[in-house]
Amino acid sequence: MAASGVIFRIRRGSGADDPNERFQAYAITPRPRMTVLDALTAIQSRQDATLGFRYSCRVGMCGTCALRVNGRPRWACRTRLDGLGESITLEPLTNFPVLRDLAVDMDPFFDKMTRVRGWAEPSREAAEVPTQISPLGRERGQIDPHIECITCGICYSACTMVGHEPAFLGPAALNRGYTLVCDSREMGGAERLAELAGEDGVWRCHSQFNCTEACPKGISPATAIHALKRRATASGTRGFVSALLEGRAPSGERAQGD
Amino acid sequence: MYTSAGPPARPPFWDLRAWRAMYPGMWAWVLQRLSAVVLLILFPFHVLNPYKTWLRAAVLALVILHGMHGLKVILTDFGFPARHQRKLLLGLTVFGVAGFFWLAYLRKATWGFF
Repeated sequence: MAASGVIFRIRRGSGADDPNERFQAYAITPRPRMTVLDALTAIQSRQDATLGFRYSCRVGMCGTCALRVNGRPRWACRTRLDGLGESITLEPLTNFPVLRDLAVDMDPFFDKMTRVRGWAEPSREAAEVPTQISPLGRERGQIDPHIECITCGICYSACTMVGHEPAFLGPAALNRGYTLVCDSREMGGAERLAELAGEDGVWRCHSQFNCTEACPKGISPATAIHALKRRATASGTRGFVSALLEGRAPSGERAQGD
Repeated sequence: MYTSAGPPARPPFWDLRAWRAMYPGMWAWVLQRLSAVVLLILFPFHVLNPYKTWLRAAVLALVILHGMHGLKVILTDFGFPARHQRKLLLGLTVFGVAGFFWLAYLRKATWGFF
C-alpha cells in the first residue's frame, strides 16, 4: 500500500432505483494498521458528514459494519487497508435494500430468521428440568461449528441464489435452523424441518459455497444446508416407505422432522 | 479532501474487476454449467464425425470437467465438509487432468498425441 494516499470509491445513494446513485471518490492518507471502518469515520468526520454507513462495536463482535470491499462482502472493522490496493471500492451489501449509501435494510434477512423460528422452543421436559448435553457428544459436535453466527448478513449477501430468488431463506437462517433441528431439547423439530426443506428452503441451494468462503466467523452454512438436505431426504423417504407399508398413498407432504 | 465523482455504475462484465468478487466454488459452478451447454452442442458433431481427434479430446475433457464437478457436489451432499471444498476442488481437478492425459495416452495411436 502506498503511504502517499488511497482513493476510496464509495457508492452513494439509496439503491439502483435512485437516479442520483453514483460513486464518489475520497482521498485519504492511511495510517499504519488502518481499517476500512477507520477510513470511513475519517472521511465522515473530515470530508463529508453526509456519508451514510453503519457500525457499532468496532471489534468484530456485532457484524453491523458489513459492506462490500472491492466487490467482496466483509466487515469494515476487521478489514485493514493493507493489500487492498490504492483504489478501494466500497459498496453496500448485495441482496439487501439500500437505505442510504452503505447502510442497508436488514429486515428481509431477519424475516427469514423468523420464518425458520430461529429461537429456542424447548419441550416441557427440557423447560422444567435442566438438560445436559455432553460437550463431547455427537449432538454437541453437530451444533458447535454452526452456533457462533452473529447475523452480520455477509453470507446472505454472498449467496447468488438469494439474489436469484429473494424468497430463498438464505444461508444464515438455514444455518440457524440446523442448530435447532439438531438440538434434542427442541420440540418444534418437525415443523421447523418442514419449513427448512420447503419451497424456499435448502433445495434452492446450488452448492456454490459462497457463504462458506465469505463467513468471517469461519462458519460453513453450506455444511449445515447439506446436512439438512440429508435429514430431509431421510425423513421423506421414511414417510414414503411407511405410507407404502401401511397401504395408503404417500401424501406428498413436505419432509417431517425426526 | 473532496476529490471527483467516479464512474456511475459497476464495471461491465468484460471488465475483470466485475469478476474478482467470485470465489473458487462459484467458478466451479459456472464451469460445470458451461461445460454442460458446450457438451450438448459438441455431442451431435461427435456422433456424426467420431474420428476427429480434437473433437474427441474436447468431449473427453468436458465430460471429465463436468463429471469431476458433479462428483464434488455429490461428495459434499453426502458429508464431505464444505469448509474444505477448495481442497476437494483442487484434488478433483488434478485427478481429472491426470485422467484426461492417461486416457489420451491410452489412445495415442489413434489420437496422435505424445
